[in-house]
Amino acid sequence: MITLSIDTKTIQVAPDTNVLKAALDNGIHIPHLCYHPDLSISGGCRLCLVEVEGQDQPVLSCGLTAAEGMVIQTQSEQLTELRRGVLDLFISDHPLDCVVCDKAGSCTLQEYAYEYGLKETSYEPTVSSALFQDDNPFFLRDHQYCILCGRCVRVCDEIVGVHAIDFANRGFETNIATPYDGPMIDSTCVFCGNCVQVCPTAALMPVSRLQRGREWDLDRTLSVCGYCGVGCQIEYATKDNAIIYAQAPEHGAANGTFLCTKGRYGWDFATSPERLKQPMLRRDVAHKLGLTEEPWELPETSPLDIRNPNVEQYFVPVDWDTALEFVSSRLSEITESHGPDSIMGLASARCTNEDNYLFQKFMRAVIGTNNIDHCARL
Amino acid sequence: MTNSVREIRDADCIFITGSNTAEAHPVISYEVVRAVKKGAHLIIIDPRRIPLVDHATLFLQPHPGTDIYVFLAMMHVIIREGWMDETFIAERTEDYDAFAAILEGYTPERAALASGVPEEKIIQAARWYALGERSHDESIYGEARGHSTILYAMGITQRSNGTDNVITLANLSMLCGQIGKPSTGVNPLRGQANVQGACDVGGLVNVLPGYQQVTDDKLRGETAKTWEVEQLPCDVGLTIVESTHAALAGEIHAIYVMGENPMMSDPNSNHVEEAFRKLDLLIVQDIFPSETAYLAHVLLPAASSLEKDGTFTNTERRVQRIRKVIPPPGEALADWSIIAGIAARVSQKLDRKPGPEAWKYDSASSIFDELTLVTPIYSGMSYDRLEPSGLQWPCPSETHPGTPILHVGTFARGQGKFHAVEARDPAELTDDEYPLTLTTGRVLYHYHSGTMTRRSAPLHWREPRGYAEINPQDAEALGLKDGFAVIIHSRRGTVRTKTKISDGVPPGTVFLAFHWREAPANRLTQDHTLDPIAKIPEYKISAIRLENPRAR
Repeated sequence: MITLSIDTKTIQVAPDTNVLKAALDNGIHIPHLCYHPDLSISGGCRLCLVEVEGQDQPVLSCGLTAAEGMVIQTQSEQLTELRRGVLDLFISDHPLDCVVCDKAGSCTLQEYAYEYGLKETSYEPTVSSALFQDDNPFFLRDHQYCILCGRCVRVCDEIVGVHAIDFANRGFETNIATPYDGPMIDSTCVFCGNCVQVCPTAALMPVSRLQRGREWDLDRTLSVCGYCGVGCQIEYATKDNAIIYAQAPEHGAANGTFLCTKGRYGWDFATSPERLKQPMLRRDVAHKLGLTEEPWELPETSPLDIRNPNVEQYFVPVDWDTALEFVSSRLSEITESHGPDSIMGLASARCTNEDNYLFQKFMRAVIGTNNIDHCARL
Repeated sequence: MTNSVREIRDADCIFITGSNTAEAHPVISYEVVRAVKKGAHLIIIDPRRIPLVDHATLFLQPHPGTDIYVFLAMMHVIIREGWMDETFIAERTEDYDAFAAILEGYTPERAALASGVPEEKIIQAARWYALGERSHDESIYGEARGHSTILYAMGITQRSNGTDNVITLANLSMLCGQIGKPSTGVNPLRGQANVQGACDVGGLVNVLPGYQQVTDDKLRGETAKTWEVEQLPCDVGLTIVESTHAALAGEIHAIYVMGENPMMSDPNSNHVEEAFRKLDLLIVQDIFPSETAYLAHVLLPAASSLEKDGTFTNTERRVQRIRKVIPPPGEALADWSIIAGIAARVSQKLDRKPGPEAWKYDSASSIFDELTLVTPIYSGMSYDRLEPSGLQWPCPSETHPGTPILHVGTFARGQGKFHAVEARDPAELTDDEYPLTLTTGRVLYHYHSGTMTRRSAPLHWREPRGYAEINPQDAEALGLKDGFAVIIHSRRGTVRTKTKISDGVPPGTVFLAFHWREAPANRLTQDHTLDPIAKIPEYKISAIRLENPRAR
């Protein structure tokens, strides 16, 4: 371990740790925009400057490897002036329309401008001429908010491994683009949205959250994705019982700060109008029970071949009591007439441990059969 | 998984087979990409040129169904060259000699002939895996032998010799001492959010919660006592596919399906449909009217995992809390609540002990507390202890920290047992009438039978309809161009879809995902020959023929 001092606090870190990480891990705040703990060091934003005892000039803490006995100062008048200067440049080409920005409240640039007391730029404000791009239903790219920190480029290459975007053009015309600035869908993009998650400003935003509420309007619930078995923890932002957007929490046990496209964007099935909302009996069953007047027979068309399935053509809604009474009477009759082993239960890898536990307990302890399986093999 | 997801980034060598990781488990592929960028070797053995091959340092592309020859030949080479871990074999394992004797016949020459993989690639893979070699930079472990990890999924298990394939990978890891340490192990990537947990809590035909055999009188008696029932059934039950056969034979009269869509996900859909139509009672409890629902007598509306509390257990055995994010629609209820309602009524009607009162649960957490009593690997867990990051089983006591790595120091059964395995061919080989091999799986933007993802607007926008991936060589032979209609025939049925002409599949192989109701892949797959032990269907290999409808 290496021992160093940051703001008079003595800290121990593993060899090869940079000073910015050492500080952040120990609760010492140093402003930074391009640094991300899971990505390579860029050093482009120049905000994380610190003073090192024995060195004349301030040094970027993200690129400085902690050394034994190092003495670091993260706050001083000189550093504050330097950081204000850097932020002044950042806001010179960033719209200061925080009053209507969806990112307000979770924008890192806004946070630092507040912290360092900058309400306007001392330069002539000039906004990037690169276009607003809404070429997909997952996320929007609004280049005027982009500060070119490059986090999105690095996460796409270093973590996701698809390298769909990179810096294009030079100087003030620099922007983040797909090859030849083609539509996202024609690039290698896999729409995982990890670029959106690491973006410190409103340059990359989930489509689902636009004009749907600001950070302080949203409730947050930590849960686990319902798709594959990785078990990514997801933080769902909701307002009035509707999901506004989803993102990885800061420290997901299996997923860290990352997700895939299904986990981040594939939750809107839950509010599909096709959801089953009440118990239903098939029309022939309902007729036999005297609930409908029309006799009915199950068509021979395979369910796989029904063109536009409409559940109401096949079923009639009933109340829970009727449905449960039907199910339990039929299960009891069949158990008695053909024996417990004439009944099969298919549990589910999409249901919880609690659901599955009760299901198999019901099959074993009440019906009396081990005919209980689920889709583990499928 | 024997190990944990986040150890993968520190591996020295990663060996992936039968897993299209970047599409089916994207977040695990991020770990793999990180490891490779830091200098790990990545060996991929797969009949398809899957996306992660772009990052591989070695790609072996065996003909479908011949990968076992490659695995056996790798072990042959490891022994021949002396790359095995003799200390590990001597101290931790048994039955090595019989296993090694079998391998003598599985030379790389033979594997090359069977699989089409060049010998030198097999030898290279054997060396890198056995010794944990890197392409650049240093190992964080600083040991003479680097740490190698095996990742696999349904590509090797959904096969008539799936169990043999898994045993072979376990043999390989023991042979090289690549198990029981960080960033090593044999790691199945499980495909559904709670498939691990559904198995853990007894959703299987042969085991009670916690993998306690139903045939073991003592264990069965203990569970019966906790549940306050007189006795529990002692015969192993029927698996999914077996139950379809039994329904056709008139032995199964009722099926209660919760959160599953067998009409899309089970092999030989026409056969499944015939069986379901014969049933006296088909109960479907689901969030959507699935294809299976249209054969049901009754539909019970369930809350989705976004609409209830509970726990899921992930592929690394981590039990984590899920929470109600939004309310369920209409009158939909949590599955446990529906089951409890049915169970209470049936116990009353059948006069079962301990009676309907035993089915009154007030919350998911009270059910979890009960399940920890009968599930020894979960017994130290509670909802409080699952905050904030969950616990990995086994977690046998309230002070146990959980188990990120299995088989450290000793195997669960004591000594690691080498099983001598011989190569076997798939059940259905190609012939003149059906000259191509169909393999099924998933695409990135969809999940399983598509019930959820095909109703998600952004995912649907990106991947709106099904297609069959066909190699340019096979397409040209039939005059098929990209985006053309194509008809696929197997001995079970016919599917019509569009082509996607792609080098991702080798000549002779066609890939069709099983998400598409308009092109249901499982109308083509076979259900007659299952793996003899796991009873898993051979989704990955069916003999097929392509037809160009324009050439009629």
